[in-house]
Amino acid sequence: MSKTDKKTVLMVLRHSPYGAGLAKAAVDTALASAAFEQPIDLLFIGDGVLQLQPDQDSHSKGMKNVGRQLASLPLYDINHVYVDAQAVARYNMDLSTAAVVTRELDDNEMHQLMSGYDHLLGF
Amino acid sequence: MIYSLLVLSSPFSGHCSRSAAAFAQSAIARGHSIHRIFFLDAGTLASSANSVSAQGEQSAVTDWAELAGQHDIDLVICITSALKHGMLDQAEADRHERSSATISRAFTVSGLGQLVDACASSDRLITFGG
Amino acid sequence: MILHTLNASPSSAAFSECLRIIDAGDALVLMGDGAYAALANTDASRALQCTGAALYVLAADAQASGVSDVADGVGRIDMDGLVALTEDFPRQQAWY
Repeated sequence: MSKTDKKTVLMVLRHSPYGAGLAKAAVDTALASAAFEQPIDLLFIGDGVLQLQPDQDSHSKGMKNVGRQLASLPLYDINHVYVDAQAVARYNMDLSTAAVVTRELDDNEMHQLMSGYDHLLGF
Repeated sequence: MIYSLLVLSSPFSGHCSRSAAAFAQSAIARGHSIHRIFFLDAGTLASSANSVSAQGEQSAVTDWAELAGQHDIDLVICITSALKHGMLDQAEADRHERSSATISRAFTVSGLGQLVDACASSDRLITFGG
Repeated sequence: MILHTLNASPSSAAFSECLRIIDAGDALVLMGDGAYAALANTDASRALQCTGAALYVLAADAQASGVSDVADGVGRIDMDGLVALTEDFPRQQAWY
């Protein structure tokens, strides 16, 4: 895989962190993308924003901590993380102190964002 | 055009995995090439060598086997998801001391790098989920 | 320009989130349980018609689900038709 083969990819995450296996698969994919120096951005929609919920502690459930995995995104140069403003408000989330810097978007802005990528990965 | 598919759907629930296989067939018939079909999460169950359908039913596992038999396509299952779902090739069965391989030889077990490569190498990346 | 595929019923979060995002200039293909959104004279199909997007349903999935009375403006397509749509739309968002 050549470093010049760059397609822009937006991962769209819509599921809560522990309800199904998709959240973990998505985060693993994002980190793999970064490891292979292929750019990837993230958009959390609906229940997907719950992956950014602070203070997750999944240890006793025998599951990897999705929130902690996401907190490491900046270390991998994944810096463009967008969130569904309506969902953030619905869950009364304060992301100002989250480990990942996020930008809240309304519906039109999300459509505009999605329209700018070569590929959309719907998780 | 060059296509890759990402298959997240289990072959045992809903139509979606069957639709993905049918999509691949139609894309080829329309003259496109398939770079890779990457199976992740429950999608890896499509590689099952042992699934037996009830009489009068056909599961997506058969569709994928037919697709693999007719065309030389890179069918890749993600190793982490595959192991979790009990989908092991002989090497993984030996490594994890399981009695036998459980996947069809048409599938290759590999890592997420293959999905990343598929995104970089394809004109179209089509996701099948749910 | 986004090609949306919906593989979930009209009562799902996937349906409502797709509705929020989709815009005129996009296309939507209903598949699996998404076929129920094509039922004529329902809130779901009316909501889809208001988006201005091009609407389609996978014919085989509609048939399997007993969706025979399809809303105006929703075109029945086969898998060849879905591939054709992906040729025209550079990107696809899967809702499920």
